[in-house]
Amino acid sequence: MKTSIELQGDALIAKLEGRLDTAAAPKTEQELKPLHDCQGKNIVLDCSQLDYISSSGLRIFLGVLKAAKPKGSHVYIQGLNADLQSVFAMTGFTNLFEFK
Amino acid sequence: MTQLPPHSEALLTQFIEIRPQLLTLSDQVYDLLRQTFSEQGIELNTIEHRVKSVDSLKGKLERKGDKYKTLEDITDLIGLRIITFYTDDVDKVAAIVQQLFDIDWEHSVDKRKLHELTSFGYNSLHYICREKGGHQPFEIQMRTALQHVWSAIEHDIGYKGAVKLPPEYRRQFSRLAGMLELADDEFSRLRTTMVNYRRQVQALVKSGRLDEVPLSTDSFNSYLQLHPFDRLNKRIAAVNQAEVFPASLTSYLPILEHFGMESLGDVERFIADYQEAAYQLALSQLAITDLDILSESVGLQNLCFVYILKKGGNADELRFVFDTINGQQPSNALLADNIMNLAKNLKM
Repeated sequence: MKTSIELQGDALIAKLEGRLDTAAAPKTEQELKPLHDCQGKNIVLDCSQLDYISSSGLRIFLGVLKAAKPKGSHVYIQGLNADLQSVFAMTGFTNLFEFK
Repeated sequence: MTQLPPHSEALLTQFIEIRPQLLTLSDQVYDLLRQTFSEQGIELNTIEHRVKSVDSLKGKLERKGDKYKTLEDITDLIGLRIITFYTDDVDKVAAIVQQLFDIDWEHSVDKRKLHELTSFGYNSLHYICREKGGHQPFEIQMRTALQHVWSAIEHDIGYKGAVKLPPEYRRQFSRLAGMLELADDEFSRLRTTMVNYRRQVQALVKSGRLDEVPLSTDSFNSYLQLHPFDRLNKRIAAVNQAEVFPASLTSYLPILEHFGMESLGDVERFIADYQEAAYQLALSQLAITDLDILSESVGLQNLCFVYILKKGGNADELRFVFDTINGQQPSNALLADNIMNLAKNLKM
């Protein structure tokens, strides 16, 4: 599982690559921690290279959302493949995030 | 540069010396007000605070320095302005200010009471205050947002300046001021009406007379406080011993309205009639996964799907649900197709 964060214009883009399963979750959570200090910048979670997400991964996304919302930031999810879209739909998570 | 008379010069020097203390006091009063209004649940437009600048005081002393014996006679060295949304709140704010500070009634002014019956204009409440047992005076102005706008425009136009406005323009000014005053009162009245309406809806919801409550944002929010989807959500969550994460369900209101629901009674029957099928649909999706976190919307979402399917709806109608919740995007067609396929296996 590979994660990177870069500032593009006014938005923080986090690129996620690989399988975000229970084993990869602790490291990914640490790597995405800087997003919690987003200071009102919008966040894009780029999942176009993400193959799998477990409940632990969903919790990490929620953690980012909970930290960013009070600061006035929007969290967008981008590039979900068909399987991941199904995961977001069946858990009702589509209701929580904004999608690009 | 105009040279100040010695007495005024002494006052200015003293002011420069104590200005840091005044800044601290201004911050303390501001923090106390902000905290108190927040605790009392009073929503304000804003609270402004400032300490007079050295140049501003110098200007004042140049104009009327001989009026002040000591620095304490200048009551607006520290100034705070509390701007409310509604006229009713100005009195509420004033009552709180009276509790928090000692008020110098002799120098406080209620400009709302100064107007002649036939005139309109700038209404504001000015209190000269001191901390309990303190000696440094500070001024607190209280007004509504519209009164604040009026005051700013009046200042900009120079209505109160040396040049008197011709009668026709004064009349135009008075008409506008009257309109703002009327608007202020109407906003207050509207708020009272809305609060009463919400109370009525809440009472009907509590008493279970749901057929008498029209479906609206307000009534739906009151209904949601009864957690009508909790039972279904708990059943669905039990599939994987999942945690249910809170979510706003108000975005589903347009969908329920699209289904033709007109009252909360319709929503109640919708839950009763379709909850078993909604559970089966959720079960068919979640049982083959180990997903143990769900959004609070999961029950309502599946209720909407089965409602459409039971009514013989197609993928386009399912897509409408996703379009409303996710925003329109091409992938919603795929999600709708997935639900259609699941439904075929469940023989809905």
